[in-house]
Amino acid sequence: MNLASMKKNQFMIRTVNLSKIFRTEMVETTALHEVNFKVSKGEFVAIMGPSGCGKSTLLNILGLLDNSDSGEYYFEGIDVSGFGEKQRTNLRKGNIGFIFQSFNLIDELTIFENVELPLLAMKVPMAERKVRVEEILDQMRIGHRRSHFPRQLSGGQQQRAAIARALITSPKLILADEPTGNLDSSNGEQVMQLLEEMNAAGTTIIMVTHSLNHAERAHRIVNLFDGNLVMERSEKVFESINRVV
Amino acid sequence: MIRHSLYILLRRITRDKVLYLIILTNLAVGFAAFVVLSTFISDQFNYDKQNKKYDRIYRLQLFMDQKENTIKHTWSVTAALSRKDLVDLPEIEKIALMHDVGDNNKSGVFLSVDKKNQFLTRFGYYADQTVFDIFTFKFIEGDPANALVQPYSMVLSKEVANRMFPGGNALGKQVYGENKVVFNVTGVYEDIPLKSSWRPTFLIPMKIFTPLTGWSTYEKEYKSYSFYTYVLLKPHASSSSVDNKIYDALREYTKEHHPYLRPMSKLYIDPYFEKTMYIIVGLISFLSALILILSSINFINLQTANATTRFREIGIKKTLGFNKKRLWKQFMGESVILTFIAAITGLFLAQLAIPAMNNMLGSETFSGTFKDWRLLVVIFVVTLLTGLLSGLHPAYVISSYNPVAALKQKFISEKTNGISLKKTLVTIQFSISIFMLIVGFIIYRQTQHMLKKELGFNSETVMFTNIVTDQKGSLEPLRQKLLQHPEIKNMCVSDYIPFILPGGDDLNWEGGKPDEKVFVRISNVNYDFVPTFGLKMLDGRNFSREFPADRSKCLINETAAKVFGWKDAVGRHMKVYNKDFEVIGVIKDYVVFSVYSPNEPHFYKLAKDSVMSDAVYAVNFSRGQEKKAMGIVKNEFSQFFPNDAFEFRNMQFLTQNENALKAWKGFSKIMTLTAIITIIISSIGLFGLILFLTQRKMKEVGIRRVLGFSHASLYMTLSSEFIKLILISVLLAWPAAYYVYHVLPAGANKYDLQIWEFVFATLLILIVAVGTISYQIIKALCVRLVDILKDE
Repeated sequence: MNLASMKKNQFMIRTVNLSKIFRTEMVETTALHEVNFKVSKGEFVAIMGPSGCGKSTLLNILGLLDNSDSGEYYFEGIDVSGFGEKQRTNLRKGNIGFIFQSFNLIDELTIFENVELPLLAMKVPMAERKVRVEEILDQMRIGHRRSHFPRQLSGGQQQRAAIARALITSPKLILADEPTGNLDSSNGEQVMQLLEEMNAAGTTIIMVTHSLNHAERAHRIVNLFDGNLVMERSEKVFESINRVV
Repeated sequence: MIRHSLYILLRRITRDKVLYLIILTNLAVGFAAFVVLSTFISDQFNYDKQNKKYDRIYRLQLFMDQKENTIKHTWSVTAALSRKDLVDLPEIEKIALMHDVGDNNKSGVFLSVDKKNQFLTRFGYYADQTVFDIFTFKFIEGDPANALVQPYSMVLSKEVANRMFPGGNALGKQVYGENKVVFNVTGVYEDIPLKSSWRPTFLIPMKIFTPLTGWSTYEKEYKSYSFYTYVLLKPHASSSSVDNKIYDALREYTKEHHPYLRPMSKLYIDPYFEKTMYIIVGLISFLSALILILSSINFINLQTANATTRFREIGIKKTLGFNKKRLWKQFMGESVILTFIAAITGLFLAQLAIPAMNNMLGSETFSGTFKDWRLLVVIFVVTLLTGLLSGLHPAYVISSYNPVAALKQKFISEKTNGISLKKTLVTIQFSISIFMLIVGFIIYRQTQHMLKKELGFNSETVMFTNIVTDQKGSLEPLRQKLLQHPEIKNMCVSDYIPFILPGGDDLNWEGGKPDEKVFVRISNVNYDFVPTFGLKMLDGRNFSREFPADRSKCLINETAAKVFGWKDAVGRHMKVYNKDFEVIGVIKDYVVFSVYSPNEPHFYKLAKDSVMSDAVYAVNFSRGQEKKAMGIVKNEFSQFFPNDAFEFRNMQFLTQNENALKAWKGFSKIMTLTAIITIIISSIGLFGLILFLTQRKMKEVGIRRVLGFSHASLYMTLSSEFIKLILISVLLAWPAAYYVYHVLPAGANKYDLQIWEFVFATLLILIVAVGTISYQIIKALCVRLVDILKDE
């Protein structure tokens, strides 16, 4: 199977002329300019570029946290660019997992409760929640830390908890915004291994990173500059898609 | 979800103890004040409710439709009305006629078990047996069905019974009245609750009124207003139908006087169609609501400020698919929970504060909060509403955060067109604070004005007693003996003295139209009344022993001269009880009964210079010699009246316990308390608010500091916004406070408003604001620059 023969709906994500402009009273800043971008199911894509090039903006739009100003955005073949907040929230729930540079764990909740949150949003019954959270915590090797608060954990453990939270709903897409940015090299390596494992299990991953080393472990690297998609390096892409499909 | 939300709330409370302590203290103090003031308000409407037939009990009153009269209503009525006019009316089920035993205004009567130990007892009444069919008396001993059937029976309140028969079992025992009449105790009832408009301490049968007073024709008497009548209407009967039937019952005697029935529900709060109590209760209700609004606004501001520390939680929850509604519910829930915690704390605070406050006010002004379930329901509803309304804004703000911005922990500025909600809330907060402080001042100053008001007579070095005696003869020997002591300056006898209100009659005067009459109070005084009480003569002279013809002369007061339109009153004539009197002097007005009441026309005729029974004996003593003088007076009076009981008291007993003044003192203390709470809540609110706003301006402060701005200019930048809002608040608060002064029911004795009261209250709020701002700004200026800029 090659890319050309893929059907439209085999793309997890497809954007057509996606633009985003930030406006203040005096200034207009183009964050994204007519970005055409496709990600197939099961793909692992890294987005790179200098600060302010629009990486996070693109990730936010892809994660349905924000809307574009123009252009189209197809999520599993459905045009979601005109979705309102409620529809975006519903689509996000269970389908998209997020991993952040600063982990974004809630300080007042224990590791167990933090990981449990997405299931609460989906109104999963308590007994099932318990089983699933225990399972994923063990999988992430932080089961023994379930009753601790985030501040009591190391950075690596916190990020593993955040990954557990992202994975708990078995999402189709994981969006990782500099997931290793706040970690030392050894913890960073562990996170990358986890991402690769997730991808190997079939999860589509889009990762924003400054580290070329980590980016090269993706199937494809997308470069952004001043809101424009400027270059793609996709040596491994066909091989990988063939493996998944 | 609920469990998670509760965990988050609890863990936040444990982590940010100081902040939540401020948030909860603010609301708890607000609630405590609200609860305390609500009990006061609810009490005002709960008088007499112990009576089971409350809704059917009415008091007979008179409307005196004379424009010259300052007092238009009275519940002292004639006996004939109840014995003749009311008897056959189909609407009426029971009638009870009553009369004071002795004079309750003066001092009451002496009761004794052994003729030796005398108990001066006020508020005893002659009453028909039907009194027990109308009012609810809880009998401890005896049977209400026949307690007043036998002549010379006596029913005692528990307090009086305990005083006279400390061992209990008063039933069947004998009690001496004024050492002259023997009564049999036929019953003992629980003391009438304090919140009652009528609180008899003992009752004796009306049927012995004639034998004891010698007044045999009282039941036919239409002109003597000294009786009280209560009626019980039949179920569903209309009082207005009775009013119509008795409206002209007195036309043959005084066509301007009209009897009517006043329901028991109005007897305390509004006996005479006056707005006074309503205004006071309304004002206190308004202030208690304002306190709650003030603390709710603080709560809103503090919670909104607090929300800025929850960006991550909100951002993550939104990212994970929690919708706006669920977040909204979570924060509304938090608000309601916090409000309930505060309300429960407030209830306990109030419960703790009430005894201390009753102690401070010297009465049971406030009753327990947990006693009245209706009040608890009101508090529950108010708490729920406060929680919901206070949570509305913070919950809306929080749940509307954009997840991207929230995760970046950016302050989300309020999008507004023109006036921002925050500024509006702050302005309301300042306005309420300033308003309440000014009103506090106004009430305080008004009370002080009444307390310090020139009474117009000597109340400090005069003592008095009431004596009922069979003794006759000249009083001069006693007077001479007393005057031999240097501590005693003078002595007089009169039937009434200042603060013991005499009765009167509708009189015509020289120069008045033939049918024109005005109610004039009438007193019998002896030669020494004016000097003993230190009254001032405006014109003419006092009665004198050197002028035997003075028996047909009289004195009047300043108001009488004014009402009669007499510029030269001396030498004028007036007819009182068909006898002609010539005015020989005009007494300068003094406070006759109450500092609250306006002055009324007063007529004084010369009493016989001999012993008077049921009269007031007053002695003027040298300043600082009260104790010694009291001993002398007791000794000399005991020798002169060996068979009669008496008890001397200082005049200040009357003046300082006068009802209106007492009410004002209580009101003033409530206002002082309200003002203190206002300052506390305002300070908490300002602290939270300024903390929030300076927090937001940290980056600005940092950049300005990097650029080299001086601390003074930074101070101005941060504080100018608040000062502007305070000035706007002044425009709202001052006119509102002036309005309160305007409607304040101070009768004829309203004090002159001073601008400094307004300025002072405003300055106080300004000082609190500037103090808090300064603290926060200094804190902001002390933070390391790198930390501020890094945080942002």
